[in-house]
Amino acid sequence: MTFALWCVVVLPFASPQDTVALAEVAVHAAALDRFAAGQTLLTYEKSTLARYAARPLGDLLQETSPIFVRQYGAGMLASPSFRGTSPGHTALFWNGVPINSISLGQSDLSILPIQGTDRVEVQFGSAGALFGNEAIGGSVHLSTAPTKKEGLQGAFSQTIGSFGLNQTALTAAYGNPNLRFQSKVYNQDQPNTFRYRDISRAGAPWERQSHAAFKQRGVLQDVWWQANPHAQVKTSFWWNQAQREIQPLIGSSTQDTQADKSIRAVIDYQYQKKSSLWKLKGAWVADQLHFNEEENQTSQGLLGLDWELPSAGNWAIRAGTRGTWLNTKLSAYTAIEQRWEAYQSLGWQKGDHISVSINLRQLAYPNELVPFLPGLGLDWRLFENDRTSIQLKTAFGLGLKLPTLNDRYWEPGGNPNLRPEKSQNGELGFQLKRKGTFSWSQRLTYYQMQVDDWILWLPKGALWTPENIREVHNQGLEYQGESSWTTGHWNWQTNISYTYSSTRDLGQEESQQLPYSPKHQGNAGLQVKRDDFALDLSGFYVGQRSIASGDSRILEGFALGNLGISYSGTKWKSLQMPLRFQVLNVFNQSYQVLYLRAMPGRSYQLNLTLTL
Amino acid sequence: MIQFSKAFLPIFLLALAFSACDPTSHWDPTTDERPLGAYDTGILIMNEGAFGANDGEVTHLNPSTGTLTLSVFEKANGRPFAGLLEDLVLEEDRLYLVANTGKVEVVQPGDFKSIGAIEKDLDQPRSVAIARGKLFISDYGPYDANYNTPSSYVAVVQGLDGGVVKKKIPVSSKPEDLYAFGSYVFVAASEGKKVEVLDANAELPFKTLDMPGQPVQFFELNGDLWVFCYDALKVYFVSISKSGLSQKEIRSFPIAQATGRIAKGDADTFYVLTSSGWPDYQDGISVVSVGTGALVSDWKKGSGFYGIGYDSDRQQVYLANAKGFQGNGEVVVYQQSGAEITKLTVGRGPSGFLFR
Repeated sequence: MTFALWCVVVLPFASPQDTVALAEVAVHAAALDRFAAGQTLLTYEKSTLARYAARPLGDLLQETSPIFVRQYGAGMLASPSFRGTSPGHTALFWNGVPINSISLGQSDLSILPIQGTDRVEVQFGSAGALFGNEAIGGSVHLSTAPTKKEGLQGAFSQTIGSFGLNQTALTAAYGNPNLRFQSKVYNQDQPNTFRYRDISRAGAPWERQSHAAFKQRGVLQDVWWQANPHAQVKTSFWWNQAQREIQPLIGSSTQDTQADKSIRAVIDYQYQKKSSLWKLKGAWVADQLHFNEEENQTSQGLLGLDWELPSAGNWAIRAGTRGTWLNTKLSAYTAIEQRWEAYQSLGWQKGDHISVSINLRQLAYPNELVPFLPGLGLDWRLFENDRTSIQLKTAFGLGLKLPTLNDRYWEPGGNPNLRPEKSQNGELGFQLKRKGTFSWSQRLTYYQMQVDDWILWLPKGALWTPENIREVHNQGLEYQGESSWTTGHWNWQTNISYTYSSTRDLGQEESQQLPYSPKHQGNAGLQVKRDDFALDLSGFYVGQRSIASGDSRILEGFALGNLGISYSGTKWKSLQMPLRFQVLNVFNQSYQVLYLRAMPGRSYQLNLTLTL
Repeated sequence: MIQFSKAFLPIFLLALAFSACDPTSHWDPTTDERPLGAYDTGILIMNEGAFGANDGEVTHLNPSTGTLTLSVFEKANGRPFAGLLEDLVLEEDRLYLVANTGKVEVVQPGDFKSIGAIEKDLDQPRSVAIARGKLFISDYGPYDANYNTPSSYVAVVQGLDGGVVKKKIPVSSKPEDLYAFGSYVFVAASEGKKVEVLDANAELPFKTLDMPGQPVQFFELNGDLWVFCYDALKVYFVSISKSGLSQKEIRSFPIAQATGRIAKGDADTFYVLTSSGWPDYQDGISVVSVGTGALVSDWKKGSGFYGIGYDSDRQQVYLANAKGFQGNGEVVVYQQSGAEITKLTVGRGPSGFLFR
């Protein structure tokens, strides 16, 4: 069936006279918008992202979602772990383009600044049928979009803070009904000279962190063009450069340095004829990594074509195909590879009550078919009246991760015979919503997941080599609650979230939690707003976790609190000057996310933005 | 005065009691006989730890009761070792814990209480020796751009209880074991395939001896100094004249793919750990008699072998298995015949043993 629809996709374009006007839609987010019924999703809009303006994506996800972010120090490598899976089990997209390193198979959230995105969406659970390779534990979707406001706009943002933080960002945008531009430039300097307790020395004296400086700068450009009533073009370009001194572990004094450069470019062409929507996507991503004197370069080109019937009665249909060309030139090996994918999605909706999604995907690499990936989801509103609704959400899906190029080609030690990692995920949840003077929503999701053929690098004598060795069973509960109300001139909002995650290595005789998989995690926040003043308090907790298999060493849990005060009442003519002051780690907790990786204590940030 | 004494006597006694328990107090080995501590007997198992986690530690085994004590250093000192444990050297009633991540901790052998440390100006220390009241530390030095170590050295520290590095004596690449004799320090410069002799008084290189393979470990046999060397096809036992500072004799054995890990058994017997490496990965233990030339290849076969030791009191062989460094490691105890006695779960990356 997949291939039948694939054939439909490659039919030639119809003549222009068959066309109808194209609705203004985001050109890349169809999968999440229309075919993700039953999935657990989190969305961060600009207002939330603004609170994290001078901070990396990893901080946002760690502090506000059920994701555990493995942070190797302040501004150092930060990689996400969804539902007890490994960092490589997360697919990461920018404007619909996969941007995980093709050699490592994962991303560093520290060098994905919030400045580089206008919207963040997070999806939990295996969704290989929707998103392809690496969507085992979940996926993160970053997107940019020029403002819909017409005319010329601009913003200048300056943040200063503790430990030498200095970040400047400049945004310029222009829009008219047919054409929109957005340009961003940012520069961040973070010497990271924070104080920490050196627990490796007698008396755990306070030390000043050295060799942990972090610098980052980048340019982002978006252009959206309504070429005619039936065709839209959107292009995005992102250049980012980061230079880091790699923070040594407590008790050692390594002097490693790392420089990362990334260029990402994507063009989306969207054309509507009758009720059919055609989408052509071309993208190019190039990453360069210098570790000390070692240079590694990777690049990938992507070409995809989608055909959609966004609305055919109760049905929505999408089918597409995508080719990816990968090229690596590392100090250890060089490799070239092609991958092909064909996919299709069916959505069925009855009013606002029932929505069903069926997704299918077949992937081939280099000339080998990997297991077929289906996914099924259901949103069913069981009860609804004027104020209250109860919705059931359930989804089942498979996921896979191809062995990374490092896994297969690294010289010496790479293993060309590795099988893809495979996962199955099922979840069932209920969402209760109540509207009124005191509005609230609560959602509870239970999930089960199994990951087979999990790849680990193991020593073989003096060499390390990867093997399909681990079988893992995960299950857990995710709770999210939100509420909002008004008292006089005061607007209140709260959010609370708790995650229980049990991860079991089936290869171990005893039931043991996987390393760096906290069983308990939670966060809570309170936002109060009156006129131009806003106060936000937030806190998050990460429970204890072992640093290795077998609970050989346990890192205790930690809880951190943050505080922010904003004032947006300063204006001069059309110039707005919002001011924001933040205190991070208010209680000055000494903590480590990963063993012996020092993290900063209390710190302050002051941000002034001039918006035209 | 009397009133003062009465008022402060309890405080004085309390202070006295605390000073007696002062964890930093240290027996002077030249003048004191000290009581036997918990770790003065039994077997100390080195746990190298995992790269990137730096969770090296020491496990203690009481072989009489089978009692294992994990993380001995952290238990004694209330802080993590925070390094990759490369070597454990007992000299002058001090135990030196060498971390190849850049430090040497000095502890009391009986209770593992910290005496001091060398925390600065080291790169990748490998082992220590004492000569002329000074501490000599072999160190790979920093890696260059191609992960070579052209700036290897032996660091000199004036005191035995830690302190600062006063001098670095350049040696051939990748120095491993050290052996002190009189005013000389012998250095097994493995990659350089040399034994270098240092003058401990002048703190200068004195003489260099070429070796047939990579020298890694010194030992004494029948009053002579020997060094164990290996290359891809053979292992070599080379005797060195301590007085003449010259090579005396080489005995080679056709043991291919040996590692630098050996254990001296009874008399002149040695257990040599071999590893075929990738892709046919297979580890083994060969047993050789330096005196008779007898060789038993593949006394044991398996995977994950990472260290070997011999308990001469009980005539038992201890074989460490790192279990992929994913968590706790394993030690299997064998009789000389090869019969398994027991299996023990120990800390991460077991790599060597010190039999007390």
